[in-house]
Amino acid sequence: MSRRGRRGLADALPFLLPNLLGFLLFTAGPVLFSLGAAFTNANLMRSVPLQFTGLENFRMLFSDREFHLYFLNTLYFLIGMPVAIAGSLALAVLLSREIRGVVVYRTLFYLPSFTSGVALMILWKQLYNPDFGPINAAIHWVSATLRLGMDAPDWLLSTRNLLGIEVEKVALSARQYGLGARDAIVIMGVWTAVGGNNLLLYLAALMNVPTELQEAAALDGAKPGQVFRHVTWPQLAPTTFFIVVMSTIGGLQGGFEQARVMTAGGPSGTTTTLSYYIYTKAFEEFRIGYASAVAWVLFAVIFALTLVNWKFGNREVAE
Amino acid sequence: MRTFFGLALLALLALGGVAARLRPRPADPRTVPLVWASDDNPARRDQIDLYNRRHPGQTLSLDPNNTGLEKVVVQSIAGVGPDCFDAGEGSLSVLIAAGIVEDITDDLARRGIVIERDTWPAVQSIVLRDGRAYGVPTNAAADAIFINKAMFREAGEPFPKTPWNWNELVSLAKRLTVRGPDGKAKRFGLLVDWNSWPGFVIQWGGEVFTPDGTRCVVDSPEAIAGVQFLHDLIYVHRVMPSPVEEAAIAASGGWGSGVITQFGGGRKAAMAFGGRWWLCTLRDRTQFPGLELTAVEAPTHAGRVFHGYGKGTFVNARSPRKEAALDLLAYMMGTEYGQLINDQADGLAPTRAVCYAPGYDRNPKFPEEDYNAVWRATLERSVPNKMSPYVNSQAANRILTRQMDLVKNDQKPVAQALRDAAREVNAEIAATLERNPALKAKWLAVRRAADAKAGAR
Repeated sequence: MSRRGRRGLADALPFLLPNLLGFLLFTAGPVLFSLGAAFTNANLMRSVPLQFTGLENFRMLFSDREFHLYFLNTLYFLIGMPVAIAGSLALAVLLSREIRGVVVYRTLFYLPSFTSGVALMILWKQLYNPDFGPINAAIHWVSATLRLGMDAPDWLLSTRNLLGIEVEKVALSARQYGLGARDAIVIMGVWTAVGGNNLLLYLAALMNVPTELQEAAALDGAKPGQVFRHVTWPQLAPTTFFIVVMSTIGGLQGGFEQARVMTAGGPSGTTTTLSYYIYTKAFEEFRIGYASAVAWVLFAVIFALTLVNWKFGNREVAE
Repeated sequence: MRTFFGLALLALLALGGVAARLRPRPADPRTVPLVWASDDNPARRDQIDLYNRRHPGQTLSLDPNNTGLEKVVVQSIAGVGPDCFDAGEGSLSVLIAAGIVEDITDDLARRGIVIERDTWPAVQSIVLRDGRAYGVPTNAAADAIFINKAMFREAGEPFPKTPWNWNELVSLAKRLTVRGPDGKAKRFGLLVDWNSWPGFVIQWGGEVFTPDGTRCVVDSPEAIAGVQFLHDLIYVHRVMPSPVEEAAIAASGGWGSGVITQFGGGRKAAMAFGGRWWLCTLRDRTQFPGLELTAVEAPTHAGRVFHGYGKGTFVNARSPRKEAALDLLAYMMGTEYGQLINDQADGLAPTRAVCYAPGYDRNPKFPEEDYNAVWRATLERSVPNKMSPYVNSQAANRILTRQMDLVKNDQKPVAQALRDAAREVNAEIAATLERNPALKAKWLAVRRAADAKAGAR
């Protein structure tokens, strides 16, 4: 390194150091610790002597029925992701138009993102009340008006779900088909995500789409739908790719707050996700080694899915 | 823009000033600061005030935000735990294994306290292991039947005569349940917190674990019959709300929310199965105006035996203020604290003698509560729901709760759910023993002794 470079580094270090130290101490350190712990029987119980156990935690994990069920729950919560992304895009298209009071609308739609998550969850808990919640009141009203004879779901109290996944095993069953706690969490997630950061990203991306391209297409006789499909949408591809990657990562890591605040992971574990499972294993059962193994498997899944996204999504973006 | 940021800065400075004025005063530096992690029960403040008055050299403060077992264990291991903390049934084995509590039998004896002699038998297992004390009971409770007097008057029903049995209660609850033309219940005969299911297991002669704790036996015919009865109160006798109906009558939150506020505030049930500690909430006349209560002994089934429960307070083994923490435990075993607990209705005093002192039966501050003797008589006949020291209680509870959720929602037959629960908990015991050789050696010794005893018989 040249003398000038060294001096530059010396100047920069004092500014970088606080952040670097924080990162090493509170992020890199615990990450490396958990990697090591995943290969041991690390336990907060002093009566369990620390031992290197090799791949034992990972072997146990693959025969752990709860892990399979909660992994499935985690994947289930991703089914709302495409709807949320499509909703954000539609909303961004609407809010990118020059209409009166657009700033107010943008603020209103972004409101869930800067409202306390716990407050929102408590609010949704009331909305989902099977007897006096407004959602079921609306369903009852529609059902009565149209004479559909429809039963409203029990939402957070029910183990039913749209795919008919069984409660205690990884299997499908018609008996479990319906709307229940899992779907309630998905719907709430979609509502939160539609007006969230994705909306801002799409709004920014839409502002950057060259208007001359859209005008040229319109002059050539393209209808608004065709302009959007053939001109605007391809220009949004990098943003969509980024949103898909981030939503997948966030979705796979999520579900903790909802389980903690709304359902305690129930009924019968149907809203327990891997992040909540890691918490219960580490801090309720004190099995730090096993919880670390689950965390690293979750990391591997996220990493693999991101690679797949990158490989195929990036190609689409390039095209 | 400059004006906006200027005003924002001024507003923040003003708010900072308000916060500085409102912040709690730091403890007197001349006193020993003592932190007690306990729930935010309104009664706790008076208990702390009394302690601070009696111990001018110490300043006890409440930490209501770190009360979960997981928080206490993790913080204590990290060396930043509270000096004292509360924990419930089944926590002791975890606390001992984590090394955050220690044997204080001799420390207590020096202060004239003997847990087996002084406290209610139903709560001793919370703090005792192999005859040694690791803490003291904070309070004690056993459930009886709360009665809403006005609803009985409206229905023209006399109060039940005790002792009585659950079939008699079902008949009465059916008469008190009122349904509208649409079949929806306007009023239920009875409310029971589903978490009280171990009480039904005990009453029907069953147990969740064997007395030595080596096996889960929640699938015994007696245990199944007890939980089946609880299930049938909802789905066969229809005198108790289902989870959906329960959500519909749920009142607002706050301390002690749930079944208590449903019973007191919703006026949706004529009777409720609960403990004296409910009165901490139900005495609030602003929240529950005109609520007239009495209580009678709970019905019986296999015998006149009930489920006793409570909490224990422990000293953090890593606390640098152990002597002061022991003072708090000694205070809890004293008469003043016991009388305060009885006055506040935070359950019953952990020390038996206080509950036999003059003034307990008819407290002049609450003359309408003429049923205090019911709680004491129930507690006299109560036994604990002993947990196993060979499995993490939170892991076992998670398994049991998952199966109980299915039973409560009528999604799985009781017998099958309890068989699955017992199988899974026993598998968890086996896995725990595999991970902990010392515990396994102890388990084997206990099993061998039990087998030898059975062989000798």
